[in-house]
Amino acid sequence: MHAPAPKPDAGLLDDLPGELMMWVLIVSELLVFGAGLAAFLSVRISDPAGFAAARAALDPALAGINTVVLITSGFLAARSLDLRLGLKRAAARWHLAGAMLLGAVFLAIKFQEYAAKAAEGISTDTHAFFTFYYLLTGFHAAHVVAGIVLLGLVAWKDAPRNIEAGAAFWHMVDLVWVLLFPVIYVLG
Amino acid sequence: MTSNPLFLAWLTLMSLGIAAVLVTAGGAEFFSPVLFGGLLLLLAWAKARIILSRYLGLWQAPGWLSGFSWVIGLFCVLLLCLYAVAGLSR
Repeated sequence: MHAPAPKPDAGLLDDLPGELMMWVLIVSELLVFGAGLAAFLSVRISDPAGFAAARAALDPALAGINTVVLITSGFLAARSLDLRLGLKRAAARWHLAGAMLLGAVFLAIKFQEYAAKAAEGISTDTHAFFTFYYLLTGFHAAHVVAGIVLLGLVAWKDAPRNIEAGAAFWHMVDLVWVLLFPVIYVLG
Repeated sequence: MTSNPLFLAWLTLMSLGIAAVLVTAGGAEFFSPVLFGGLLLLLAWAKARIILSRYLGLWQAPGWLSGFSWVIGLFCVLLLCLYAVAGLSR
């Protein structure tokens, strides 16, 4: 008789909360944005004065408000999982709706920022700073849109593991922003 | 609510945000460029760590939290070096 196959050890990966594939996504997104930020500051070395002049056209106050909006939105998304685990489905859904609403506020502020730049005739070709600015903040904004859709889906199909996955994506968007904001809007 | 770890995390994130605003407002008048960049990136790293720990739940996996914190910390050091090199080349 064959001995029963040994039960695989609970590996390091099993310690991660939530879905493993969501963590793979989080790490890959961090790598992409991280490479973008490193490239941004690398290019800045050749023209720090030009970058500083370009950065002066940005409005860090608006971006700062967006930081508050996104962090608060992340809190609501995280709280929704706790509420769902506590079997408070309606409250969990309201929190997810709040997170989505704040995500929409973030996008509205971002749109206003882009519109102001466009009105000043600033485009991706104006300066290398703005090429990175539009690329990185635009790519991040696209993730905010995807996150809002995802939060809507998990509010509908509100199994705890679904909410956990949706909220994890949202927190990744949050995480990227807290690193992107100081580099682009203050140090750039 | 005030003893809820998530609420405390949110409160800490807000406090770190206010600290970042103060550092930014102080700017070059109060800090050398490297210290200025270092403080802002330190605050960003602290915010990232709280998001990883409390929002993403890595407080349940201290080894992973430590690993992520180290990697993001080293990445912030890289960013600070790139920022500082530009200052030297002026």
